[in-house]
This record gives sequence, C-alpha cells and structure tokens, in this order.
Amino acid sequence: MGKTADVLPGTLDMLILKAVSLKPLHGYGVLLRIRQISGDALDIPQGSLYPALYRLEHQDLIAAEWGQSENNRRAKYYTLTAAGRRRLREETAGWNRLASAIAAALNATSEEV
Amino acid sequence: MFKRLRSLFRVLTSRRDFEDGMTEELRFHIEQYTDDLVRSGISRVEAARRARIEFGSLNSVKGDCREARGLHLFDELVRELTYAARLLRKTPGFTVTALLTLALCLGANLTIFAVIDSILLRPLPFPESDRLVTLFNTYPKAGVERDGSSLTNYYERRGRIPAFASVAIYRYGTATIGEAGSTEREQITRVSPDFFSTLGLGPVMGRTFTEQETTYQTDSVAILTDAYWRQRYNADPRVIGKQIRVDGLSKTVIGVLPPGFRFLSSQARLYFPLASRAEDRTPLQRHSGGNVTQMIARLKPGATLAQAQSQIDTQNTALEADDPQAKMMADAGFRSIVVQLHADHVASIRPTLLLLQAGVLALLLIGAVNLVNLLLIRASGRVKELAVRQALGASRLHMVSEVVVETTLLTLVGGLLGLAVGAAGIRLLGVLGADRLPLGGRIAFDARLALAALVAAVVMGIVLAAPIAWFNLRRHPGNGLRWESRGGTTGRAAQILRHSFIVSQIALAFMLLAGTGLLGLSLKRAMAVSPGFRSDHVLTGQISLPSKNYPDGAARLAFVEKLTDKIGRLPGVLSAGVASNLPLSGHSGKSAAAVKGHILRPGESPRGHYSYWVGGDYFGALSLTLREGRFLTAADSRRAQRVCVVDEDFARYYWPDSSALGQRLFEGSEESNDAEAFTIVGVVGRVKQAGLTDDVAQGAIYYPYVFRGDSDVFVAVRTGLPPESLGLTLQNVVRQIDPDLPVNDIRSMETRIADSLVTRRSPALLAGLFSAIALLLTAIGSYGVLSYAVAQRRREIGVRMALGARPEQIRGQFFSLALRLLACGTLLGVIGAWLAGRAMQTLLFHVPALSFSILAAAAGVMGVVSLVACLLPSHRAARISPMEALAEE
Repeated sequence: MGKTADVLPGTLDMLILKAVSLKPLHGYGVLLRIRQISGDALDIPQGSLYPALYRLEHQDLIAAEWGQSENNRRAKYYTLTAAGRRRLREETAGWNRLASAIAAALNATSEEV
Repeated sequence: MFKRLRSLFRVLTSRRDFEDGMTEELRFHIEQYTDDLVRSGISRVEAARRARIEFGSLNSVKGDCREARGLHLFDELVRELTYAARLLRKTPGFTVTALLTLALCLGANLTIFAVIDSILLRPLPFPESDRLVTLFNTYPKAGVERDGSSLTNYYERRGRIPAFASVAIYRYGTATIGEAGSTEREQITRVSPDFFSTLGLGPVMGRTFTEQETTYQTDSVAILTDAYWRQRYNADPRVIGKQIRVDGLSKTVIGVLPPGFRFLSSQARLYFPLASRAEDRTPLQRHSGGNVTQMIARLKPGATLAQAQSQIDTQNTALEADDPQAKMMADAGFRSIVVQLHADHVASIRPTLLLLQAGVLALLLIGAVNLVNLLLIRASGRVKELAVRQALGASRLHMVSEVVVETTLLTLVGGLLGLAVGAAGIRLLGVLGADRLPLGGRIAFDARLALAALVAAVVMGIVLAAPIAWFNLRRHPGNGLRWESRGGTTGRAAQILRHSFIVSQIALAFMLLAGTGLLGLSLKRAMAVSPGFRSDHVLTGQISLPSKNYPDGAARLAFVEKLTDKIGRLPGVLSAGVASNLPLSGHSGKSAAAVKGHILRPGESPRGHYSYWVGGDYFGALSLTLREGRFLTAADSRRAQRVCVVDEDFARYYWPDSSALGQRLFEGSEESNDAEAFTIVGVVGRVKQAGLTDDVAQGAIYYPYVFRGDSDVFVAVRTGLPPESLGLTLQNVVRQIDPDLPVNDIRSMETRIADSLVTRRSPALLAGLFSAIALLLTAIGSYGVLSYAVAQRRREIGVRMALGARPEQIRGQFFSLALRLLACGTLLGVIGAWLAGRAMQTLLFHVPALSFSILAAAAGVMGVVSLVACLLPSHRAARISPMEALAEE
C-alpha cells in the first residue's frame, strides 16, 4: 500500500457518487473502488462511509436495493439516480474549476504579478 | 423537501426493517473486511479485532446513520412523549383534572363555533354566493320597517339595474299535493323564471321555468327537490313529464333539483312558477309587497352594494313621477334597501351568537388559567430535579421542548375528549331548537371542525407551555437547588403570578355569572309579559283552502262557518274561531288603513296596523278583553253593514280624547266612498302581536272574515280540557267537512308562545351551563392554589404552632388570603360585568346593563363557591402537627 491521503472535507460525497456511477456497489465495494480508482491514494475512514451513504440515499441521489454479493451473501447495492448523475456532473465541473484555479494560483511566478 | 419527508415517512413506517437492514449491512462490511485481512495472511481472530477497531464504534455509526435519515429528532420526540406520559400517569389527580378542564372548555368552544361556522361563516351553498343580495321596501315613518318587494318592483327592475346580473322574486307557501283521499300538505316556493339562474344552481334533470309559465293559464308545471323526487318517485329517472296533483289541479313535472339544494332556511320540497295577472304588475301594486313576496338579485362581477343601492334609489325617484301614491310614500319614508342575502338572513341571530362565543372564550380563558396554575404548581415541585438536570448539562432547548411536549400531549388528549364533548354539545343544541335558527339546519359536526379543534388544542398546548418554560429556565441552577430547602420560602414572583391568575379567574367567572343573570332576568321579564289574552287551554292549527274547491269568498265563508259551528258543539269546547293570522306565531303582517276624517299631520303617513280577518268566536277563543262596545260575532260576516273592532292602541292614537265607537275607517291607505267604510263597533285590549318583547303600540284592526276571505286560516279553540288532547278531534272534524283537507301546525297557544321565546331561552340556558362550568373551574383553581400554599408553608406553620399559635389563627390566616383574592376578583368582575352588560344591551329586555340585584347574587354565589373551595385547605393547615412538619425532610 502506498502513501495515502485523507479525504478533503466535502469531497466524500462526490467520490461516493463517482464510485457508484461506474457500477452498482455495496458499501464495502464503494470503499474498495475509491481506493482503487484513486490509485490507493485516498483512504476513507470506514465509520464515516455509511452515514454518507444514508445521507445521499435520503437526498435521493443514490438508490439502494438488496442483492447477492460475489460470495452469495445478501448485500445492499447502491446505484446512481438521475438526480445523482446531475449532481456528480455539477460537482465534477465545480471541482475541476477549483483545482485548476488553485493550480494556476500556485504556479504563479513573480513576473506574472 | 417533499422527497426527504417521503423518505423519512418510508423509514418511519417500517422502522424495524430499517434497523435490521442497517445492522445487516454493517455486519456484512465488517465480515468482508475481515475476510480480506485473513486473505492477506493475518489470523482470523486478529483480523476480526482489527476490522472492528478500524470500523469504529458500531453504535455511533448507527446513530450517525439515523441522523442522516432525520430520524434522531423523531426518536427524541418519542422519548419525550414517553417521559411526559409517564409523568402524567404518576399524578392522576392532576391529569384527570386537566383533561376534564380541557375537554369541557374545548368542547364548549367547539359547539358554539360549529353554530357560528354554519350560520355566520360558511358561505351559502351557491356559486359566488357573496354576490347574492336581497331587496326590501321600508316605510319607517309608517311603522313598517320591512315589507318585502312587490311583483311590480320585480318587473320594473328586471334588466334595468346595471349593477345586477339578474333579479328574481319568490314567495313561500304551502300546497296540498296528491290525489283525493291521500293528500299531503307540503312546503312549497313559487318563484320567477330567473330564480334558479340568479342563485346559480338549477335543475340537474329537466329544465327550469320559462317566461311563458308566469300566467295563471300556463303555470301548470313543477320542479321537485331531490329529496321529494327520491321519496315520492323512488328516484325514477323518467319522472320528467309525469303529472302531479297540486291543490286539486294537475301539473307537469319539468325538473329535479340537485341533492342538497336548499334556499336559505326554506323547507320547500316543490317549486312552482310565481304566476300573476297583468294588473298585479301595474304601478298601483308597487307597494303591495306585504312581506309575502321577497326579491333576490345577483350583483354583476365587480359591482358593489353601494352602486346597486344608488341605482335603485335613482330608479325609485324616476318612477315616483307617475306614481299616484308618491307623496304618501315619501311621507312614509319609503326606500328600497339592498343588503347581502346571507348577512340579512342571519342578522337577527348574529349578536346572540357572538355573545355566546365571547362567553365560551371566557370559559376557555378560565380553563387555561387554571391549567397554567396547576402546571406551575407542578413545576415548583420539580424545581430541584430540573436544577440538577440543568447542572448536569441538559440544554435549555431540551428543557423547553420537554415542557412543550408535555403540555401539548395534555391539550391534544384533552382536545380529543373535547371532540366528544363538542359532538354531545351539538346534539344538545338540537334539543334546544338550534335547527330552527336561520340556516340552523346546516349545523353539523364534520371533519373540518374536528381538525380545527385539534389545531386549536396544539396551539393551546404551545401557549400553555410558555409560562412554564419561562418559570423553569428563569432561575440559576444554584438557586434551584436551595429552593424550598429547610431555610427557603416560596418564590415571590411565582406566588404573585399564581395569585393574579386566581384573581383573573374569579373576575372572568363573575362576568359570566353576571351576564347569565342578565339573560335569565331578561327571559323572566319576557315570560312575565302578558300577551293580552289568555293563552292557556287554547289549541290552534292552520288550514289552507285550495282554490279549486273553494274558488270564492262565499265558499270559504261557508266552510269556516261550518267548521266553527261543528267544533263549538264538541263536548269540552268552550268557543272556537278562525283568523287570518294568530298573534305570536311569527306571521304578523301589517296593512295600511285610512281613518275617515283623520287629516294627516305634516310628515305623518298612513300607518300600518296589524290586521286580522276573523270568523266564529275568535275573541272568545282567545279571551281578549273588551274595553268598549262589542266583539265581532259570526253573524257580522253575513250582514250587509260593514263593521270592525280596533284595539286600544289604535283608538288612543286616533281619538286620544274621545271614544272610537261609531268612527269609520277604510281598508287600504286611502279613503274611498262611504259604502266601503267600516264602522268601529268595539274596542278591545291590546295583544302582543309580533312578539312578547314587542313594545311598539302599532294598533290592530279586526275585520269580519268575509271581507277578505283568506284561503289560509288559523283555527283557535278554547277548551276546558288539556288542549293537546283535542288535536285528533280537530283533524276529524275538518275531515268530516272535507276529506282532503289536512290541518297543519297543530300546537297549543302556550307552545306557540314558548317557541316564540326560543332565541331568548336557549342562549340563557347555554350561558347558565357555561357559568356552572366556570364556577366549577374557579373552585378547582382556588382549591389547588390554596392547597399548594398550605403545603409550601408546612414548616413555617409547624414552627409557629410550636411557638404557641392557635389553630384558629392559622386557619384565619389562609382564609383571609382567600378573602383578599375573592375581593380583588369580584371588584374586577364588577367592572367586567358592567362592560359585558353594555355590550349585551340590545339583547336584553327591560333589564339595565348594571343590575344591583344580579351583581349581588353573582357575588354571593361566587363567594360561597370559592370560600367553600378554600375551606378545606385552610382547615388542613390548622390541623398540621408541629412535630411532623418539623421532622420532615
């Protein structure tokens, strides 16, 4: 396992939506998927994952359904709703704007001032 | 927002599933993680331990999940509700008292509000009913305040008043329906063709009346109400075109009205066209409304009452140019008034209803004050507990929400009980005759009312919580812990608050008592008024002679003579007579009469007098007093000579200094040729015509029956037997003469008089009921507060008694406190009673706003009740044993 970083406040929801958008996942799967797609760079505190999932479901951004896991256990699978898809698009755009703005700010040299 | 509520609702309805699912999901997570750890080479025991540690506290994760779903607030509420319910169960005496208080107060308010709602607030059941108006003619200077509208008015106004979308006219009546041998008397209404379109609600089946159907030759059509159609025709869908016999004539059914169609308070079950002749519509008949014909109109959208009024005034002025009676009518102060239909219909009952509502609101206030007092006392008992909890970190918000939950739980349960009380109250109103009020038939207990009551209960719970929460939060926890410990005494502010509540309660109850006294005295005075005749042992009934079998005055006279003759010969009957009208039966109409030789003074107009056309021995049947001359007899209807009898008011008005005997008068507002004149042959005592409380000396004239030969007659029979026992005999006699003729409205004269007082008696009874509840509540309140004062000061009393105070001194001390509170309350109550009396003045009959005897009686009752309530606690104080009191704690 390489070096991991804590998730920035406010970005957990976005990451969950992204993870779920790729394929329906159960809670543990979301954890693994985020770790995987971030190249093991991001590690989510396990205790904070479920309240976030419940909150997103409450906001109708994701939907939950009981299904069978890979090893034939009953598990709750989350999928993205239409509203969730919209939210993910907005948040991604917002994040990209913010990230490039911060990157630009950090790359500024004395000549540009 | 809505989506979240739905999600919360979904979770709440399957709470167990939610919890189970959450547990399973979290367990699945931990097990998967454990498996992964095992796969990476860690022992299973160690893997399980690490999985648990990394996951964190299962319970706190679950709590966070619930919170994410908005469940924590709900859980909190459930916890507080359980806590409040447990507290309330622990003090059953308090809880039962509080619930009963709430049930009575809210129930009484609900009952009266149901009446106000159905009579004053709910719009009439027609589309845009606020645009419906009624018009009537008034001749104030002739003593005729209200005289309906005439056919002429209708034909002149139709389509000529720009502010009106339409105008219609109607006349209530009765008709005999059915084939010979099985007839029934039904309430009917005759209406102009535009009646239903003016209301905006017409037949759902068939059609409405047409313009061609307004003459006597073409008016043989009928429209049925839904109820009549269902009852008589079994809801036959092919009823249109069927024949129906009305007063012996055949009519065709052309329409059926929608279910629930009801015009104002009318009981009419059939509608007929209002037919008339051309001469009924001429300017000469312009002032012949006589209260039998009434006009309604619908304002155009955007038109105002004031516009309509000014257009009517303008038209009246223009019409006066060709009116032969213009000068006379101007002298009589003639005007046509436009008023809202709904407001006008309920105008007579409005002040009474508002008064009753004010009364029950006062009752609610007393109950609320009582509850606050009891709750404050309870809160004082828990001061230490609350202080400890606050010291241990309970938030202020939490303490407030706890109080709100508790009081709201109380008021909500009280409100539910109040619904039952309200439903019973509405039934009681039915017994008291509420359905006879204008629109009283609409009074009902429905879901809307129940909802309003429950909302009111919740609001009341929150309002009641405010002073308690303030009391709980007011003091510093440190103070609370010392509060009422060995050295402490009662909090001064709380004591003042409790005492001022008791004072205001006594004042309010006193106001209610005094108000009830005024209503009661007013009723008693009204009942003591002599109607001017002997009302005992008189049976009355009404007969309508259909024009088919009784086409003219001669035929009707023959019937009347036969009837009075036959009844007069029955055993037990002393005398029998008929009249076109009976006093105090709600039909009193006035007609104009012109006295020969009477020159109108400037500004004086021909006066309207109560006019009766009487046959048989009417005067004997009602036992009128003879002042001068003689009564009319049955024979006067057969004599060529025209005679009449007047009452003493009439005689005094025209001949204040001489005898009325031998003077002559004309029926109608103008003198005509001498052959038409009636000679006065007798003067009788005055009779209360319109109502017992009617104080205007309007004058009355009695003509022999034949000179108008009305088809509607009232029969009056004086008997030595109980009058009701004669009812069947009366019907039999009528049936012997004419088998198709029913007798309606058979009631003893005393019942008629009692019925005429229903708008006085029922409010007085209700007010009495409210006062009784108010007294009870005040007694409970005084008892509670004084008991508490005694309990608070046990130690102090113990010390004083140990130092030698005598029991009488202790008892006296508490008693004098009670007396002081009573005195303050009564003083405020007198001021309140005076204000209330002034507000009620228009409803009172010969009773001043401030009656000393009523105030004294109210003070007496109030004093006795509250002192008795205080006696027990004072007595208990005097019996406190110093040893026990000091040994406590």
